[in-house]
Amino acid sequence: MELEPHTFDREFDLAELLAGMPLARMAQILATLLAGEFRLVTVGGQLMLGRAEPFAQPCHAAIRHELETLGHLESASDGEARLSAAAGMVELVLQLSARYRMAADLHTETVQEDYAALQHQHAALKESEARYKTLSEELEERVRQQVETLETAQRQLYQAEKLASIGQLAAGVAHEINNPIGFIRSNLSTAQQYVRNLERLAALMKAGDMAQFQALWNEADMAFVTEDFAALLGESVAGADRVAKIVADLKGFSNVDQTEEEIVNLNDNLRFACNVIAGQIKDKAELVLELGELPRILCLPGHLNQVFLNLLLNAAQSLPDQGRIKVCSDVLNHEIRILISDNGCGIPEGNLDRIFDPFFTTREVGSGTGLGLTVCRDIVQAHGGRIGVESKVGAGTTFTVYLPVG
Amino acid sequence: MAEIDEVNRKITLKLVYYGPAQSGKTTNLMRLHDLLAPDLKGEVMTLETQNDRTLFFDLLPLGFRTPSGWLVKLKLFTVPGQVAHDATRKAVLSRADGVVFVADSQRTQSVNNAEAFQNLEENVQRVGLDFASVPLVVQFNKRDLPEAQILSEEEVRARWAQAPWPLVFSSALIGEGVKETFARLLEQVYPVLDKFCALQESHGVDRQSFVAAVTGG
Repeated sequence: MELEPHTFDREFDLAELLAGMPLARMAQILATLLAGEFRLVTVGGQLMLGRAEPFAQPCHAAIRHELETLGHLESASDGEARLSAAAGMVELVLQLSARYRMAADLHTETVQEDYAALQHQHAALKESEARYKTLSEELEERVRQQVETLETAQRQLYQAEKLASIGQLAAGVAHEINNPIGFIRSNLSTAQQYVRNLERLAALMKAGDMAQFQALWNEADMAFVTEDFAALLGESVAGADRVAKIVADLKGFSNVDQTEEEIVNLNDNLRFACNVIAGQIKDKAELVLELGELPRILCLPGHLNQVFLNLLLNAAQSLPDQGRIKVCSDVLNHEIRILISDNGCGIPEGNLDRIFDPFFTTREVGSGTGLGLTVCRDIVQAHGGRIGVESKVGAGTTFTVYLPVG
Repeated sequence: MAEIDEVNRKITLKLVYYGPAQSGKTTNLMRLHDLLAPDLKGEVMTLETQNDRTLFFDLLPLGFRTPSGWLVKLKLFTVPGQVAHDATRKAVLSRADGVVFVADSQRTQSVNNAEAFQNLEENVQRVGLDFASVPLVVQFNKRDLPEAQILSEEEVRARWAQAPWPLVFSSALIGEGVKETFARLLEQVYPVLDKFCALQESHGVDRQSFVAAVTGG
C-alpha cells in the first residue's frame, strides 16, 4: 500500500498538533493549574478541550505556534498570570508535538524515497538477471554443440586409429598369405608339367611303343617325379592349411565393433593376437608365451583383442634386429594380470607420463595416430581394469594390463 | 513553491540553506536569528544533531504583516551536509522557493564544494524545480580563517566568473555577510513571488519593503 506522505514542512493547525495526545490527562492538569474549569479553542472558535459551554465573561490567553496564533485558552477565573503560564505550557507541548511530527513525516518521506529507489534498482537487477539467464542458456547450448563436435571428432579419430591398426595388420597378413600362396602356385605349375609328362607316357603305352616309352621315362626322370609329386602336393596342402589358419585368426578381428559381451578365456585371445603378429616378426624376433591358468571372464573380446594387438605391435616396432617379445598371464589378488614385455629400445622417462595422452606420438607424422595407447587405456578402463607401464631405455618395456575377475 | 492560504490570509515561503558538510549552514541560521528584526521571529528549531552535525534539519520561522493584513511567513531550513543523508537533503529541498549555497572557503574543501553543488543541481531537478530559474545565492563562508588556508576572493571570483548567481563572502561565526547573503536571496525571491501572488498590487509590498520587512531594516 502506498500512502501519499504528508509533506513534513506543512502548516499545522491546533487539532493536528493535539492529535494523539493524552487529552484527558492534559485536561486534568490544566484544570488543576487553572483551579477550575477551562476551554481550549481554535482561532475559529472550535472546542478542543475543556468545558463545552462558553464562559459568560472569560479570560483569554493566546496559544501561539510558529509566529501564529492557533487558538486560545479560556478560563472563568481572573488569574491572568496563571492563565498565561498554562498557555505557555501548552505552547511548549505543541512545539514538541510539531517537532515530532516533522521528524516523523520527513522520515516517512525519505523512507518512501529510498523504497522507490530500491524498487527501481530491483527492477534493473531483475532485468539484468533475465539477460544473464538468456546469455547462460545460449552459452550452455553453445557448449553442448562444441561437446558434440568434439565427440564426433573423437569418434572419427578412434575409428581412424582402429583402421590404422587394421591396415598394419592387413599388411602383415598379406605378406603372410602371399608366402604359402607363392609356393602353392609354384608347386601347382610343376604338377601341371608332371601331368603333361604322364599324358605323353600314357599315349606311348597305349600305342605299345615300349622303346619310346622307356626313352621318355628316363628322359623325364619319372622315378624322381613320382616321389616329388607326392611331396609337392603334401607341401601345398600344408600351405593351404596355413592360409586357412590365418584367415580363421583374422575372423577374430572382424568383430572389433561387436558390442555383445562374451565369456572367454583371455589366453585364447592372447594366443590369437600372437598368431596374427607372429608372421610379421618371425624373421627378427622370438615370441615367448608363458600363459598361466585364467578364469573365464565376461568381456568384449574384440575390443581386448585390439588392446593386445596394439601392445604387441608397439613391442614389435621397438625391437632391434634380433629381439624377444614375452607374453605372460596369471591371476594376482583377484585380478587377471597380463604382461607384454619386449627387450626393445625402451621409452625415455620424460615420455612415460604422456604415452597414454591422446595424440602423443614419437613416430613420424603420418605413421601413427597417437591414439593407440589411449584406445588401449580406454578399453581396459571400460572393463574396470587398469594399465601400467615400466620401461628402461635400451633395456625394454613392459606393459601390464590388470582386469578384474568376475 | 510558495503556498497561499486564502482562509487564514497567509503566504508561506520556503528557503533552504544547502552546502557541503560543516560549511556553516546552521551557524548562518543562528546568526540570522540574532541579527534580523522582523515583525515576527520564531526560535531556531533544531531537529536532531550528532556531534554538532545536523541529521534532519534546522528551522527558523520569520514573518511580517503586509499592509493588506496578510501574514507572509518565511521558513528557513538547513539540510544535513553529509553525503549519506541525500534522501533527507532531497526531501528538505522539495518545494523550495530559494536556495543559499554555503560553500567552505578552505582550499582543502574545493572538491567537497564542487560535489555538493553538483548534488544540489541534481536534487533540484529531481524534486521538479528548474535549476536555471530557482533563486540562488552562493556564499563563501569562513572568511575569518587564516589567509593561507582559504581561497582568496580573487580566486573564487575567477572560478565563478561565468556563473549567473550572486556571490557573497561571509564569516557566519562572527556574523559578517550573513544578513547580506539573506538579503540578496530575498531580492531574487521577490520577483518570482510578486508574479505568483501579486505582492505589490494586492498587498502593497514592493521589493525594497519586502527585504526591509523580513530583515527588519
